[in-house]
Amino acid sequence: MLVLSFTRAMDHKQAADLFSDYLDGEIAPGSKADLETHLSACIQCRTELESFRRAVGSLGRLKRNAPPAFLTGIQKQIHARSRGRFFARRWMLFGRIPFEWVSLTMIVAMLLYYVIVLQGAPTTVNPAP
Amino acid sequence: MSLGERLLVGRLKQRDEAAFNEMVRLYGDKVFNLVYRMIGNRAEAEDVAQEVFVTVFKSIDTFRSEAKLSTWLLRIASNHCKNRIKYLARRTTSPGGLDGEPEEAMADRGRALVQGHIDRPDALLEAAELEELMQNAVAALDEEHRLLIVLRDVEELSYQEITDITGLAEGTVKSRLHRARMALKDLLARNTR
Repeated sequence: MLVLSFTRAMDHKQAADLFSDYLDGEIAPGSKADLETHLSACIQCRTELESFRRAVGSLGRLKRNAPPAFLTGIQKQIHARSRGRFFARRWMLFGRIPFEWVSLTMIVAMLLYYVIVLQGAPTTVNPAP
Repeated sequence: MSLGERLLVGRLKQRDEAAFNEMVRLYGDKVFNLVYRMIGNRAEAEDVAQEVFVTVFKSIDTFRSEAKLSTWLLRIASNHCKNRIKYLARRTTSPGGLDGEPEEAMADRGRALVQGHIDRPDALLEAAELEELMQNAVAALDEEHRLLIVLRDVEELSYQEITDITGLAEGTVKSRLHRARMALKDLLARNTR
């Protein structure tokens, strides 16, 4: 009679709702006791739990390694997209300096030359005859 | 993030090719498996998984070290999967995709599954059939459920890692994962009848 009152306390749906927590070991002690009491008296839920456990347990075997040429494929893609410059060390190759920086440097250099050399040079005025 | 991972990220940000190769060796199988189980087609999965690593290298400077590198990689992988699934759906390709798999790949499926455990041909075939059955059931789940199943039950990640990857709250992950597992159980029961 006591068992019957426990099975009534938890129905099949309530029991099934606890399957994941039960399997993951994350079920609260009180709920675990209630579920185990229900399972001991309910063959339908025991069968369901076993199917559930088998389904979830089999998933761990779905492991597939990357194909052998996987790394080579990625390297090729990166080299192709970066025109071989992706892995080069920064600033070691002239080609890695952005074009905008080169242009800006040139403009600054020309300005400096203009200011210092051309503007700074003493102007000579020819005396009137 | 561990010290080793921190150093690896530092080298990646320096565009060190050896570090890149090391990253692919460390996480390539995990990324490929996630993508393969999400998309279900080997050739597409290889393409997407490669694209994941290309993206990683393009955006490594944006990686913030408070997250785990593997978590960040898997988040990128799951986003790429979502995009490819949408693209394939527009092309009306079969979502399962295993039917398009080359024979060679079909043959090695059983080998990969049971490496080191089974050497009898009949057992090998049985293992390959079981994998196909499982893969078909996983492929029949909706995309969100599939991702959670793969992350938790195939890749065996913690709930914390899953919340970092998906951006969902832990409670949401748990309740959706439970629904996904129940749906998978029902699918397997229907398919094995």
